[in-house]
Amino acid sequence: MSNEIFIKPKYDFKVPIDASAISPNEFSGKSLEEIKAIKIWEGNKEKTIGDLFIIEGNTSSEIKNIKIILEGDFTKVRRIGSNMSDGEIIIKGSVGFYLGEKMSGGKILVEGNVDSWLGSKMKGGIIEVYGNAGDFIGAPYRGETKGMRGGTIIIHGNAGNEVGCWMIGGLIKVKGNCGLFPGIHMKNGTILVYGNTEGRCGALMKGGKIIILGKVPTVLPSFTFEEIRSSVKANGEKIDGPFYVFTGDLNEEGSGKIFISTLNNTHLKFYEKYIE
Amino acid sequence: MKILIKNGYVYDPLNKIDGEIMDITIENGKIVESVSGEVIEIDAKNMIVMPGGVDLHSHIAGSKVNAGRLLRPEDHYKDVEKKTNVKRSGVGHTVPSTFTTGYRYSEMGYTTVMEAATPPLKTRHTHEELNDMPMIDKACLSVLDNNWIVLDYLSKNELEKCAAFIGWILNAIKGYGIKIVNPGGVELWGWGKNVKTIDDQVPPFNITPREIIRGLCKVNKMLNLPHTIHLHTNNLGTPGNYRTLIESMKCVSDLSDGSIILHVTHVQFCGYKGYSWITLSSGADEIAKFVNENKYVTLDLGQIVFGDATTMTADGPFQYILYSLSKNKWINADVEAETSAGIVPYRFKKKNYVNAIQWSIGLELALLIKDPWRVFLTTDHPNAGLFTSYPKLIAWLMSNKAREKILKKVNKRAKSKMILPSLEREYSFYEIAIVTRAGTAKALGLKNKGHLGIGADADIAIYDINPKEIDPSKEYKKVRRAFRKAAYTIKDGKIVCKNGEIVENIFGRTYWVNVDIPKDLLISTISEVKEKFEEYYTVKMENYAIHENELLKSAPLKINSNL
Amino acid sequence: MKTINNVVCSFCGCLCDDIEVSIENNKIVKVKNACSLGISKFLNYDKHRILKPRIRKSNEFINVSLEEAIDECVEILSNASYPIIYGWSNTSNEALRIGVEIAELIGGVIDNTTSVCHGPTIIGVQDIGESTSTLGQVKNRADLIIYWGSNPLHAHPRHLSRYTALSKGRFVKTRKERKVIVVDVRKTATANIADIFIQIKPNSDYELLSALRYAVNNGEIEQDEVAGVPVEKIEELAEIMISCKFGALMFGLGLTMSPGKHRNIEAAIALVTDLNKYTKFVILPMRGHYNVTGANNVTCWITGYPFAVDFSKGYPYYNPGETTIADIIARGECDAALIVASDPISHLPIESAKKLSKIPIITIDPHETPTTKVSKVVIPSSYVGIECEGTAYRMDGVPLRLKKIVDPPDGIVSDEEILKMILSKLRGD
Repeated sequence: MSNEIFIKPKYDFKVPIDASAISPNEFSGKSLEEIKAIKIWEGNKEKTIGDLFIIEGNTSSEIKNIKIILEGDFTKVRRIGSNMSDGEIIIKGSVGFYLGEKMSGGKILVEGNVDSWLGSKMKGGIIEVYGNAGDFIGAPYRGETKGMRGGTIIIHGNAGNEVGCWMIGGLIKVKGNCGLFPGIHMKNGTILVYGNTEGRCGALMKGGKIIILGKVPTVLPSFTFEEIRSSVKANGEKIDGPFYVFTGDLNEEGSGKIFISTLNNTHLKFYEKYIE
Repeated sequence: MKILIKNGYVYDPLNKIDGEIMDITIENGKIVESVSGEVIEIDAKNMIVMPGGVDLHSHIAGSKVNAGRLLRPEDHYKDVEKKTNVKRSGVGHTVPSTFTTGYRYSEMGYTTVMEAATPPLKTRHTHEELNDMPMIDKACLSVLDNNWIVLDYLSKNELEKCAAFIGWILNAIKGYGIKIVNPGGVELWGWGKNVKTIDDQVPPFNITPREIIRGLCKVNKMLNLPHTIHLHTNNLGTPGNYRTLIESMKCVSDLSDGSIILHVTHVQFCGYKGYSWITLSSGADEIAKFVNENKYVTLDLGQIVFGDATTMTADGPFQYILYSLSKNKWINADVEAETSAGIVPYRFKKKNYVNAIQWSIGLELALLIKDPWRVFLTTDHPNAGLFTSYPKLIAWLMSNKAREKILKKVNKRAKSKMILPSLEREYSFYEIAIVTRAGTAKALGLKNKGHLGIGADADIAIYDINPKEIDPSKEYKKVRRAFRKAAYTIKDGKIVCKNGEIVENIFGRTYWVNVDIPKDLLISTISEVKEKFEEYYTVKMENYAIHENELLKSAPLKINSNL
Repeated sequence: MKTINNVVCSFCGCLCDDIEVSIENNKIVKVKNACSLGISKFLNYDKHRILKPRIRKSNEFINVSLEEAIDECVEILSNASYPIIYGWSNTSNEALRIGVEIAELIGGVIDNTTSVCHGPTIIGVQDIGESTSTLGQVKNRADLIIYWGSNPLHAHPRHLSRYTALSKGRFVKTRKERKVIVVDVRKTATANIADIFIQIKPNSDYELLSALRYAVNNGEIEQDEVAGVPVEKIEELAEIMISCKFGALMFGLGLTMSPGKHRNIEAAIALVTDLNKYTKFVILPMRGHYNVTGANNVTCWITGYPFAVDFSKGYPYYNPGETTIADIIARGECDAALIVASDPISHLPIESAKKLSKIPIITIDPHETPTTKVSKVVIPSSYVGIECEGTAYRMDGVPLRLKKIVDPPDGIVSDEEILKMILSKLRGD
């Protein structure tokens, strides 16, 4: 039985809002009044959640029973669900940067689009987006080398560049297309793209698995062709091919694997001459 | 402003005061005999009063430090400083921003810091950063040993002209002294190469590292500079390099008339026995033996602290080796006709055999070298550890128990090789005052620093710890806490820090040496050099020089050379 | 007529410091040693000058005193919830130091033109580092010179003669002793004087850099050509790079602004880093504005980050894409702007320019630009390096002091002084 808390913006936001306090962990054990008094940044002004949002509903003292439903335009609102370990967030609208940053459990559902850095350094839990996602899904902060390490992210629309940048575990599924550099610097984990990619898959990867069912313009020259496989497992789920399988990125002495649909990439047929 | 510090236990080794209860009186930024009238009283009862800390080797400002800052956004992210009514905001951890650097030194009771190495061509940048570093007095050592014109002169043994040229450079770029970094090796790094011994040739200069060190030692004497040559030896960070260190120290032994003529820096990195990383062991006992018997050398430790570091030195080839070993990101930045710089992030781990041995070397040196006036406490910040770890180092020096606590957790094979567990010596507060302020000020030739005698600059640190009641050997945690946050830091007679919190934002002086060189010698040397200079460099000699008004608070030391 | 020697030119990142400027009656009449871009600046800087501060009041510009203009600035900035401060690459370090302090005080975002130019370079360096040097090292030692996505003969005219292919160094004295390679999508003027020209398919620099790196490390490329370049040619290039004595790779916007951006730079840096296993190699960015390097350095030593610094929570926060001005403006998030020595209305995409023009803008600039035309407050300032002194950093980080040559027009003061007045008023001094 979850207790639902409804959040609606009081007005159209213009400057960025840092809403890392909007998460089941932050709300649990607090009354509605206490939640309204939680501090939140609107640009350079420190305000309270109650100043910016209409809050209604029932709270709970247990994180896992908290269900936060956000309705409206949250594109300027950042870091919702930061560090959450359980509970649920549903966003009926679009939402800004860093949704679900460092989350370790629980569930986030977005009906609209999400901006960049979705699930940055995610450890566990599930994020599902019905719309599109921006760049850098799962990616860590600038200069850091460890990104998403667990959990599942599902994008029903398209994703931007650098899906799963510095990934070390977990699963990212993109039902639509993705931009450049999926799996860049990847060490472990699985990326599955049903649509097309703009290319440069697995650049600098050291391990992990990238599966592209749609079109791939070219394969990076530092990858070597291995074989044709009829299917591949994506976190236990069987995905049917057949696939051209490549290993790389050899520029990093990597042993990551890229699986590219043969049927949708006939321009890559020339690699078959490398079959022993 | 007049201040009376009363009832404190004063440690002032340069004036042989060892924990006496004494009053210290301040007026107009200086220590005076007595004060009367409107006086601010500080009751330092049950507290220690020392001169403000003087750090003689730290990488805090300049192009390679800034490259280190740029390289490490992930580091800054972990440690931010919010703006307050008194303090500017900033970032900390291994490569703090300039304002934060000044504040954190001051919070520990430090009042003077020497930037360890600046390339002359880019020293204007160093001074700009020092201008934005509050709370402390500062100066910078100029890297001169791979400078083409210096090498040209040294190879021809034209020492007077070399001295005149170096005197000109120090005046022009507002430097404090002669820094030597991997002599000869860094020039070869311009071709991706290095030297292996101090007798290797450095083409096309027809000179060896030995000759560079000796030549600069002589030049230093001719210029009568306040500090000795400051040497980062060849083969830094290489197993077996303790031999290079001892040879480098030996190579100037005949040049001493009994006085101290050489300072060797971050000796921990130069004290390795063994022939590979697996056989690495400490050369501290041999080095200490040499230093104990040869009184013309001072050194600083470069003590390892486990945790994050950002290595940065002018030793391009060494930094490349570290990159190859660690595979961390690597910045290299050569400076034409002069020197280089390399930066590699690193993390020292207790369970790592090599890091554990490295950690023991600095401490073994500190405990085996008998004369505290010749061994100074540094971490070669941020190479071996951060300057904010100095209180930890003080605890390690004063308490065998503190060392044992770490020894329990380090790599066991390393521990079995160390002599550190058998060394029970513990530093006293008096000795700590020497290795962190009195001795360093003396070595740098800063006559008004590092002591509390009449006429000294009123740079004072008061630490909330009672030397008569605390047994530092057992209660080392209290020692650490006390030195981490000074009860009071006084700078130029102003209370700037209370209980480790900055209460007033002030800016210190930038010291440099204004050497008096005989006019004829100077003119003839510069006119001879100008054409070559503008051929080698890509800037005009006029634009190479820095004007005094570019320094926020210029404080030249007028030096009469022996030329 | 008086001649001033060793003048530092304030046009591009070359920061040539051997210019001779002759003046008569407080006017520059002759310029020696500068390239056409430099000469043009020295002789024409005085055109389209703004001579008085002005404020826009209901669609009319009214000249006001400096004090009034400053008061209006302070009013705009102190009430803003997410103000931006932008520009900086065409002014001195001294001015920017004050700008950073202002940004911190008002809780705004400070950024410089790096974010629309070589931002990708810096982001690349933050991920991987870089092996670089000052330009004199190239002049004295480099026997292999590569320009990638850069056309210095147009953008940095004296680069070759002062620092690279046509310079005279201690160890490499003539053009014959150097090999020059140009990689570009079309045959540029620089490509015309190169020994080898590699024409690359547009938007495939990343692939070619990966291939080169792979070939350098003895990899066997499983394609016939990469980026439109035959694999034999790639292997030949790799061999040339490995066997040189000192190689220098210089790159420009061709690499930073084509798809991949910071990853292109990362790939170039990785190639150069790997080349250091075999020989000596450095990489240098061809920075455009004369003090964009200074802008990065000043911002970095004060805040820890080189551009795009957000102070809204009272401490520095950096995240290109989130805190870069172009992105903030595109998302319509800022509510006030202070522009110093820059013309973003001209340089931003039209949609962003429209959004920017809707918020109150304060511009400090010597001359009229599309940005000054839509600003609420305009304060004219003097030209650094001509009418006032200042420090600037060359593209390779060498810091130089720019001279004052002539006096500015009456009543016009420097960016630094204007910003000091704004800061003082904001602090309530």
